[in-house]
Amino acid sequence: MEELTIILVRGLGLGAIFALVAMSFNIVHGSSGILNFAQGNLFVLGGMFAFVVLPSTPGPLAWALWLPAAAVALAALLAVQGWVTLLPLRSSIEQHSWLITTLAASVIIGAIILLTLGTVQSTVRSPFPSITVLGARTPAPYLLVMALAVAWYFGLRWFLSRTLTGLAISAIAQDLDAARAAGIRVRRLQICAFAISGLVVGSAGYVAAPVIAIANDSGIAYVLNGFVAAVVGGLGSNLGALVGGALVGVASMYAAYEYGGEFQNAVSLALLIAVLMVRPQGLFGRPAARRV
Amino acid sequence: MGAQGRRRGLGAITLAVALAAGGGAAFAQVKPIKVGQFFDLTGGGATAAESAMLGTEVALKEIAAAGGIAGRPVQTVVADTQTDATVGVGEMKRLVLQEKVDIIFGPIISQVLLASAPVLNEGKITSIGGTGSEAITPQAANFYFSVLINADSQAKAMVNQAADVLKAKSVAILSDSGAQAKSFVESIKAELTARNIKLTGTQEYQYRATDMTPQLLALKRGNPDTLLLFSSSGEDVGNSLKSLQELGWNVPVTGNYTVGAFAETAIKVAGKEAFKNVTGTNYRAFTHCAGAPAPVPFSQFVAKAKALKADAATRLSLPFAALFYDAVYLVKAAIEGTGGKTDGPSLTAWIEENAKNHKGILDNLTPSKTSHFLVGVNALTTVRPDRVQEGGVQERMTCS
Repeated sequence: MEELTIILVRGLGLGAIFALVAMSFNIVHGSSGILNFAQGNLFVLGGMFAFVVLPSTPGPLAWALWLPAAAVALAALLAVQGWVTLLPLRSSIEQHSWLITTLAASVIIGAIILLTLGTVQSTVRSPFPSITVLGARTPAPYLLVMALAVAWYFGLRWFLSRTLTGLAISAIAQDLDAARAAGIRVRRLQICAFAISGLVVGSAGYVAAPVIAIANDSGIAYVLNGFVAAVVGGLGSNLGALVGGALVGVASMYAAYEYGGEFQNAVSLALLIAVLMVRPQGLFGRPAARRV
Repeated sequence: MGAQGRRRGLGAITLAVALAAGGGAAFAQVKPIKVGQFFDLTGGGATAAESAMLGTEVALKEIAAAGGIAGRPVQTVVADTQTDATVGVGEMKRLVLQEKVDIIFGPIISQVLLASAPVLNEGKITSIGGTGSEAITPQAANFYFSVLINADSQAKAMVNQAADVLKAKSVAILSDSGAQAKSFVESIKAELTARNIKLTGTQEYQYRATDMTPQLLALKRGNPDTLLLFSSSGEDVGNSLKSLQELGWNVPVTGNYTVGAFAETAIKVAGKEAFKNVTGTNYRAFTHCAGAPAPVPFSQFVAKAKALKADAATRLSLPFAALFYDAVYLVKAAIEGTGGKTDGPSLTAWIEENAKNHKGILDNLTPSKTSHFLVGVNALTTVRPDRVQEGGVQERMTCS
């Protein structure tokens, strides 16, 4: 029983990382139809930020002070990425050059990490000691990232339904053409959505830094599992991202425990296929009409 | 760029460094010997590969200063496999077919070599790398040699430690998912059966995994006396030991060569306290007895590496670099011993016949027509990985 508790708690921690990447996917996709495949390396960049700014044994205060800086730095970077991605597009829904642009951004970020940190995987020490949860010693970053995922879920929910900018982004997500016809400055809001996704993914990478691989080639695992979490939960639904992330995280941990480490990645893809076969719109997604 | 940020870049970067330091006009007219540096410079194998490349660079610089190989200057071409077999094949083709290199050093990842071996064979190029899979035979890679102890030798050394020193009656295996690790698991199984030791479970992880808790929990169910850890990178060793520590499982760990040679990288990840119950495997040439000085040939190499690249020498594995330093000198001896030939068949025959007489940092090289692993199990010893001197010299567990 204790073993399953450990798997559950760590799976939820890992799942929270995937959920945050999935939410970051959702924000951009909702406003522009773009799936930003650079999310994985951007997440690792958040971790790299922690590695660069924090001392080898950081204190909680220094850690807390740098957290907003990491989020803002990634937001600024993503705003630039969003601007570059959207620049040549008349319509991000009908044109698909963003596919190459976001992949190129991912490659460039990977190269920047390589040039900055070298080939060795970088390590960040957590300022907080491990905590016993349900009898299982759990690294604090897993718990912090779970709290962060829930905080971002409620924060985004409030922002998208209670603020003028958030409502305008929601309007774009519902009907881009109608929003444009209503006078909403679509391009500016789309770049704003990119920046918000930067806040999410930047803070996620920074908080999770002690439990992730900070290396130029580790982003692929996070973007892949984040994407699976987004699709399993239902693309566009942040509640779905939260649940999808938890499912993917726990399932991959359990698969490694019960069947072997070689099944850890395969199980998340199997989960994706299973959900798509039964419920193509994802667990919390809404079926949408498509113009033909 | 920071101290750690000295990179050679992605993919096909040609350095084309004419290393002729003092040959003059006559030297410049001689066709240079083209050396391919075929290393896994990015991806999971990067730390080891960068160490290996440092070793070749130290040797090649020395050789250039001393007049080249058989009177010919040396030119190097760098290729990065990205620790990816597919990329490796493309880079091997570039080196062999386009750059037309004479000699190749690398790779260090078995699956990369296995995939690109047909290109090596077709080009009849002699190569020395640092791979350990048993599948890499002279039949599979005709002109390829490895400076790494093969998986079988590592398995024997680790089972010896577990059975003879720790008196283990049962063991579990945690390894990465590479080709060398798969060979290792097969060798271990055979060795355990021969010695009547129970295998309670095997688990594997992907390169760069940070949380091995589920694998370790699964292995813990079997309640083994000892955990055998086989890894290909220091970071993975560190993450494995960190997960073990977080679980509070105090099982003795018997590690492979990576646990020994890349302990300093692992300590950066997991801390020194994680090595309390851990032993590793290493070449005897890189070890010493408590209170005795470090071995002289290796210490001299350490000084040379630091003089050439001080930053790199402090963060890389110098024992692993030393293996490739020796490899370069072995190839030099082979070319000069065959009267300046660089073709695969001639050099391979010379190395098979004469490597046993070669004196370098390592001695007692033991390649043959049936095995191109240059080093055998007799060259190994068990070490305390956390007891490291300058340059990575480790303390032997037993001295007699």
